[in-house]
Amino acid sequence: MARTRRPRRPRLTIGLLVLASISIITLDYRGDAHGEISSLKNAASDAFSPVQRGVDAVTHPIGSFLAGAFNGGELEQENSKLRAANGAMARQLLAHQAMADQLKSLQVLEHLPWTGSIPTQTAKVVNLNPSNFAATVKLDVGTGEGIEPGMPVVGGAGLIGQVIAVSSSTSTVRLITDADPGSQIGVTFGTSSGNVASVQGGGIGRSLTVNLIPPGTPIHKGEVLTTSGLPDLAYPPSIPVATITKFSSTSSATQESVTAEPLADLDQLAYVDVLLWEPTS
Amino acid sequence: MTSTELARSSVVLFVVLVVQNTVLDGVRVAGAHPDAMLLLPMAAGYMAGPDRGAGFGFAAGLLADLFLPTAFGLSALVGCLLGYGTGLATRGLVRSSWWLPLIVAAGATSVGLSAYAILEAVLGEPGALSADLLPALAVAVPAAVVLATPVVRMVGWAMPPVPPGRAAGAGVR
Repeated sequence: MARTRRPRRPRLTIGLLVLASISIITLDYRGDAHGEISSLKNAASDAFSPVQRGVDAVTHPIGSFLAGAFNGGELEQENSKLRAANGAMARQLLAHQAMADQLKSLQVLEHLPWTGSIPTQTAKVVNLNPSNFAATVKLDVGTGEGIEPGMPVVGGAGLIGQVIAVSSSTSTVRLITDADPGSQIGVTFGTSSGNVASVQGGGIGRSLTVNLIPPGTPIHKGEVLTTSGLPDLAYPPSIPVATITKFSSTSSATQESVTAEPLADLDQLAYVDVLLWEPTS
Repeated sequence: MTSTELARSSVVLFVVLVVQNTVLDGVRVAGAHPDAMLLLPMAAGYMAGPDRGAGFGFAAGLLADLFLPTAFGLSALVGCLLGYGTGLATRGLVRSSWWLPLIVAAGATSVGLSAYAILEAVLGEPGALSADLLPALAVAVPAAVVLATPVVRMVGWAMPPVPPGRAAGAGVR
């Protein structure tokens, strides 16, 4: 293992590249060049979209064939559509149940829009979790279909997330399991209008943490959490989000320790609905 | 870098990007997937030394950043450091063993993913370190061992190793 004298040029190169990287990160993080960077990302996404669809069209049937499923591609697609339709019905049922409960005590919120009356745009999931460090999915719809950042996305039996970036033909959705502290969702549960809480993702494929439930609050396993529409109206009210799977409390705790599972199966997303509804904040 | 190397490097970057975004992103275990884009800086540093490894890693990272929802420039920073680090750590080694790139790939992927998670946490995403890193390591490191040989060969085709003494910091074959 012969060692030679360390040359100077690589140090200069790496120094310049690190400086350039940190400058780009800073510009993006501080928002100084966020618009330009978003435009660049959107352009790249639009340019890459036909390649992705083309390769998908070639590799998907091969994958199905290798999986041993003759005509598996068609069946799988049909299955996905049926699963999406089934989930939509389950979601409507849960939303109706939640609405029926809440109507008893949430008369003050009567003027707020209800999910059932919001128009939707069906989309196909083209990429699940492109990063190992962010729970996101990419959809095959964009500004051309009326999609805007902030729009809620539902799939299966409940909420799956919110649109965070849109190009002309694709959009990126941050899933409710994302651990980003800024992605908390205001939810309500039970029949009392005062039963509000906050749901926080725990990372890709992990359970949700429910915060702000005072000790002694009557809750039970399987209870459905629905969007409250409050406090910042990031989501319309009454979208089913998750079910409570575990809860506990200690005498000194300031809140119940509550865990919930998303109603939508976030690992099996194929078709979803984007609610054409923009946040008010 | 010659024009031939530049053209070949572009082809390699594009091919690996397509494979990553269309095939490997769909291979999910516990929510994590293999990361071939992270192997590119490692392969460049291993084959062409720290200088060109850093440059190639920066380019690969910037390209990957275009399709990721995380902070722009993060993969470029990790990529250039990984290319440089791999080049430095392996430039004195005689590469007669077939398994050496596999070990280097596993080590570089571990370091790269950890660095990425730490930087994400610094930028206000603590879940990257506390929740996402472990599944990512468990899936991406074994996958890196499997993918190392083809990726190193592709990068070697694009950036042939420079004989010792011809270029500063170049890898020793």
